[in-house]
Amino acid sequence: MAITDDVLVIGGGLAGITAALSAAEYDTQVRLISYKQSTLRHASGLIDVLGYTPDGQGPLANPFDTLEELPVGHPYERVGTDAVRDALLFFDAVTDDAYAGGHTDANALVPTSSGAVKPTARYPAGVESGLASDPRDTLLVGFERLPEFNAPLAAAHLEATGVPFDVRGVTLDFPGIRRDDAKVIRYAHILDHDERVDIGRGETVARPVLAALVSDHLDGESRVGFPPVLGDDNHDVVRRDLEERLGVDVFEVPSGPPSLPGLRLEDLLYDALEEAGVRVTTGVEVVDYDSSNGHIDHAVVDRTGQRVPYQADEYVLATGGLVGKGIDSERERVFEPLFDCHVEHAGDRYEWFDGDAFGDHPFARYGVSVDAELRPQKADGTVEFENLRAAGSVLGGYDFAAEKSGSGVSLATGFIAGVRAGEVGQ
Amino acid sequence: MAYDTTVLVIGGGSTGCGIARDLAMRGVEVTLLERGNLTHGTTGRMHGLLHSGGRYAVSDQASARECIDENIILRDIAGHCVEMTGGLFVQRPEDPDDYFQQKLSGCKECDIPARVLSGGEAREIEPHLAKDVKRAIEVPDGAVDPFRLCVANAIDAERHGARIETHAEVIDLLRDGDDIYGVTVRHDSGPGKRTHKTPGSTEDITAEYVVNASGAWAGQIGDMADLEVAVRPSKGVMTIMNVRQVDTVINRCRPKGDADIIVPHETTAILGTTDEEVSDPDDYPEAQWEVDMMIDTLSELVPILQDARTIRSFWGVRPLYEPPGTGTEDPTDITRDFFLLDHAERDGVTGMTSIVGGKLTTYRLMAEQIADHVCAQLGHQASCATADEPLPGSENLEALETAMDDFGLRSPVARRSKQRLGSRSQEVLDTNEPNPVICNCESVTRAEIRDAIEQSGSDLNAVRIRTRASMGNCQGGFCTHLIANELVDEYDEPTARAAYDELLQERWKGQRHALWGEQLSQAMLSYALHATTFNADGDTARSGQAIDFAAFDSGQSDSSGGTTGRATTDGGTQRTDQGGDR
Amino acid sequence: MSDAAHTPDDGVSSDDEFDPIQVFPESTEMDLRPGADDCYKCSTCDTNCPVAEVDDDFPGPKFQGPEQWRLKRTEDHDIDDSILKCSNCMRCDNACPSEVPLSQMHNTARGAYVDEQMNKLSREYWRNRLLSNYRIMAHLGSKVPRLTNFVMGLGVTRAFNEKVLGITSEREFPDFATETFREWWHNRGGAAASRDRAQAARTSRGIDGDEPKRIAYFHGCYSNYNTPEVGKALVRVYEHFGYEVLVPKQRCSGTPMYANGMLQDAKRAADTNVPELAAAIDEGADIIASCTSCSMSLRQEYPELFDIEDVERVSNNTWEGLEFLRVHEDLESELQGTTADVPELAYHAPCHARNQGLDGQAIEVLSVIDGVDVEDVGDSCSGISGTYGWKEENYDTSMKIGEDMFQHMEGASGETGMTECPTCSMQMEHGTGYEIRHPLEILEVALLEGPEAA
Repeated sequence: MAITDDVLVIGGGLAGITAALSAAEYDTQVRLISYKQSTLRHASGLIDVLGYTPDGQGPLANPFDTLEELPVGHPYERVGTDAVRDALLFFDAVTDDAYAGGHTDANALVPTSSGAVKPTARYPAGVESGLASDPRDTLLVGFERLPEFNAPLAAAHLEATGVPFDVRGVTLDFPGIRRDDAKVIRYAHILDHDERVDIGRGETVARPVLAALVSDHLDGESRVGFPPVLGDDNHDVVRRDLEERLGVDVFEVPSGPPSLPGLRLEDLLYDALEEAGVRVTTGVEVVDYDSSNGHIDHAVVDRTGQRVPYQADEYVLATGGLVGKGIDSERERVFEPLFDCHVEHAGDRYEWFDGDAFGDHPFARYGVSVDAELRPQKADGTVEFENLRAAGSVLGGYDFAAEKSGSGVSLATGFIAGVRAGEVGQ
Repeated sequence: MAYDTTVLVIGGGSTGCGIARDLAMRGVEVTLLERGNLTHGTTGRMHGLLHSGGRYAVSDQASARECIDENIILRDIAGHCVEMTGGLFVQRPEDPDDYFQQKLSGCKECDIPARVLSGGEAREIEPHLAKDVKRAIEVPDGAVDPFRLCVANAIDAERHGARIETHAEVIDLLRDGDDIYGVTVRHDSGPGKRTHKTPGSTEDITAEYVVNASGAWAGQIGDMADLEVAVRPSKGVMTIMNVRQVDTVINRCRPKGDADIIVPHETTAILGTTDEEVSDPDDYPEAQWEVDMMIDTLSELVPILQDARTIRSFWGVRPLYEPPGTGTEDPTDITRDFFLLDHAERDGVTGMTSIVGGKLTTYRLMAEQIADHVCAQLGHQASCATADEPLPGSENLEALETAMDDFGLRSPVARRSKQRLGSRSQEVLDTNEPNPVICNCESVTRAEIRDAIEQSGSDLNAVRIRTRASMGNCQGGFCTHLIANELVDEYDEPTARAAYDELLQERWKGQRHALWGEQLSQAMLSYALHATTFNADGDTARSGQAIDFAAFDSGQSDSSGGTTGRATTDGGTQRTDQGGDR
Repeated sequence: MSDAAHTPDDGVSSDDEFDPIQVFPESTEMDLRPGADDCYKCSTCDTNCPVAEVDDDFPGPKFQGPEQWRLKRTEDHDIDDSILKCSNCMRCDNACPSEVPLSQMHNTARGAYVDEQMNKLSREYWRNRLLSNYRIMAHLGSKVPRLTNFVMGLGVTRAFNEKVLGITSEREFPDFATETFREWWHNRGGAAASRDRAQAARTSRGIDGDEPKRIAYFHGCYSNYNTPEVGKALVRVYEHFGYEVLVPKQRCSGTPMYANGMLQDAKRAADTNVPELAAAIDEGADIIASCTSCSMSLRQEYPELFDIEDVERVSNNTWEGLEFLRVHEDLESELQGTTADVPELAYHAPCHARNQGLDGQAIEVLSVIDGVDVEDVGDSCSGISGTYGWKEENYDTSMKIGEDMFQHMEGASGETGMTECPTCSMQMEHGTGYEIRHPLEILEVALLEGPEAA
């Protein structure tokens, strides 16, 4: 017996989850199957839509001014500007007050852990008070044993970008951390649970100690930025508690990987999947499929040795790009490993990249190309399978790193792929 | 005439640093000039083999004997730079038996300890050898870290009073008639330790005697004084594997050929190499076929290499030389011996000697011979002590072994740190400050990074060659910014930013030859981290572009008086869930 | 392969069980450095590690796995002692987006550590061997279950365990059943009786002409000695679908032994299990386990760690109890219209079930049954990880890890727990006081006891 649903989404990242959620809006049984954990956990948790044009103009104050002008084949061009708006509204509804930025079309400039600012369309609520267009003076706090965020350096860098406020950085010892290689989830756990800590002056609890340490360094600033370790499950509580104790706004400076904001977003979205009745299967890989006449009959899942058929009417391929392994490569070729969908690329591997680390890298744009229904196309432009759609970074035709468009493309294409699959599958 | 320095050495490779140390230890005032970082030329671009002499046991027995002698000396004086891995000359079924016999008897003739192993015995030592290897000769090959070796020589030279200038390119030789009396040098930033954004300068340095130890570039230096030094630079590729597939040096036992050696080097294995004469040591093609050949040909010996991950390839240029009139056509046939060219004898121009040819394993011997020669010219009476005096870091290594102090580090981190720092471990690692690992691939802690910064300024490539930070599988993707962060106590933000940019680009350069499979995924992840998460490519601090901050979203609740970005028609509700006083 | 001839003995008679451990070549020969090729340092594994979250003495799976392996030279033998802090939950395997064999690296490093660096005379070593060889204790204990249960429950015994053995006194030892599963099986008539029942079921289902359907049950230690009702449920459910059940001779699956670095003990058990199970496969049976750690071990760790003939074949033919039925029978139709009068259930998916893609399964299958109301209590780890949480030094960490699950269980409306894993169920019971059921027991109620049942 095949395990049977109406829609089968393959891939558990932002695109796959969005596709599953939007398909589940229809009267369909949706299953999401995710082999390994998604690259959401690498990401900073920001929802970039478009920060720069494909030829590097930017930062764009309003991504919607430029969306219409993107070249043919760009995922946004495929789905259209309205789809981007719809997908963002959908995201706003799903994330509710955990995310902000939906009040305006304008991009926000978010300070990153390096001190540069980055244009983004949606940001976690806990990032909001740190926006670079907000002119309040700022204190950044880093921790001795977390070398990822050097607060004094980031502060100096921020000033060099011309931000409209004064900013300083201090480095403190995080209460309760004993080892130099403690993981960020350890930091978050201490704050989440307000653990008892020993700071050499008897035992006390973590949040008040942290607040007291920071308080000593406040010099009139009305907001304080931390590396993104302010709790996991109880992030809101932790942040508000610190705000109350410090009497100033508290925000996180996105970083990663590893990235707690990415992790929190993943948790939130998986909760939404459960609520939407999407069946989720994790830890096993779709390794093969069976098709006839350009129609996928079922996918084959390897369950630690057993090959189990998973059947659905509609399939969504959201397996990720080169990082998520939805696109793979060998010395001679770049390919999509599951359905072997066509991936356009240069034959000579020395033409896959540019000589500058931030040059115009063809590899960053490798992926499957799709029609307006997001169905992967063969080299000749015909569709690979009538009931397969692709979404997210498995798509080609855009460089999310340069454009700052990764999350937006995943949302928009995931949303449309889910809607189309849901329409057919219901 | 009063000279600025007694002896001026051009070239900060192993030979130049070895000469500087030798002369300084003999009490001669010496200045060393290197146009890049130490090891920038050929020394930093080799496979790191400490020869037993086995490779020359058939073709060049004089070199073979020198190698085994120096091999034994270096184990002693440079223990923290050397790993005695042992080596195998492995014969495949298709490789000639008579050559195997010649190799074996050649080793015996040169006093190189050698014994024959069956294929099975060889595979017991190296389980990843191909199942059909026929037999092998075991010899005392080893691995040497050329960076550490070179830096230790330079440090010791400085301790004995030498002046070491890196990023100092010789742009002219000062010649008065038939006498060379110094050089004109261009300091990239400095003089002194390199600090980014420090303006450069030019300086004339006069010297009683000049030693041209610039290897493959010796011809270019000679040209500056119209002296012909006919080096024949020959390029060779080295491909770095992500892990050590072997812990023993693996040589292919056949007469000659490309792609015939695998050297375990620190955490990696290095595949080598090709041998092609080039006209300009700074400009030659780095070709795909060379990388493919390393993998495909050496997979015949070690099959798992075929699908293993390579993290980088680089090319080095051998400073080959043969006396005028020899006329060897194939560069693989040119002798690996070294030559001391006294331009007074050879060209009638006094004040300078060039040293050309040779190999890293015999660097100390070359340095000793040229130091003897220089002292004779100067009339300076002193004998060489470099064969007996351990290098800094290699003193009393036994004491380090027995001390068992892990300095509060996890044991593999402590082990690797101590292998790199040798007897300097205590001095560097014994700290009361938090000491997190900065480079996780190679286990390099903050204390070691800061020690390297102290030695070499803001130049993170100099930090890299001292510590191996950023030389692991992520090729700096996850640590370039962290290393740059460590500059903050001593340097300002623009300096740290420039240093980060430079290291990131340097790391990218060599990775280009490894961009497929896992390393392409790694490259995409690193690119995404630095461009997407940090926005280093769109950074206006770098571009100088002015941003109209007011045109961007300043937050919904915006109680601060800042300007808000344009609102959409759908508005959005005012959120009331923000705590704290505003 | 018929086990009717066997006594209900469970094979614990052999006296090699506690032979001094030999320095085994497998651990030192196994070179997992090439596995580090797949790591691109994203740290996803670290953010999934339940131990690193509550204890910063544990440096996380990335360091203990690919990083430590990559730093290794052949002559290096020192493995960081923090490897003993890893609880072997294997969540890192599931996390890694790049297929690094993390748990294999941890298991191998732990084996090498125990072999080469751990003092064989230490209390810790012997306590770990005792815990990982639970089956031996259970075997002895179940000879006189009531007495053992009484003695193990005594405060003085628990104090002794903690003081002398380092086994936490906070936990109560699970009760031994008065009749083990194998005793029940034997008394019931063994495979012969099962063959008859299966035949009868096939006849009544109208599938008489088909090939006889056969499975071999790998019950593991816990359902044999402590919860035979799970094993009985499995037998009855499978017979209901017309499967003849075999119960091969078997030893521990090895899971607790890997977790304690006792790879030689695990190998010894595998040397019995693999040929016995392979023989059952030869007779047309698939291997079915009711414990998800047992199925995990046979499927994944066996081929990763042991070079035994047929080990791959056993791995490729092993299934979890519900999973097999779901794929080979029309389970959903069979359950349509069935009713089970069971309390509301708070379900915890064991980490090892997640690794096999089984995390959503129990809820998907059981929610078809009328009267079954199951709520998932989230994806956190229970924290006990087999023997880990039994150790005095790990007890607090174990309870800290479990805190999330306890909270979610308290928050769920049901006051009965459900899980596939025996040690998770101990932790669930310990943290909440709830009674804990196995999904097969619910299935049994629906198919065999509900009003619709035949």
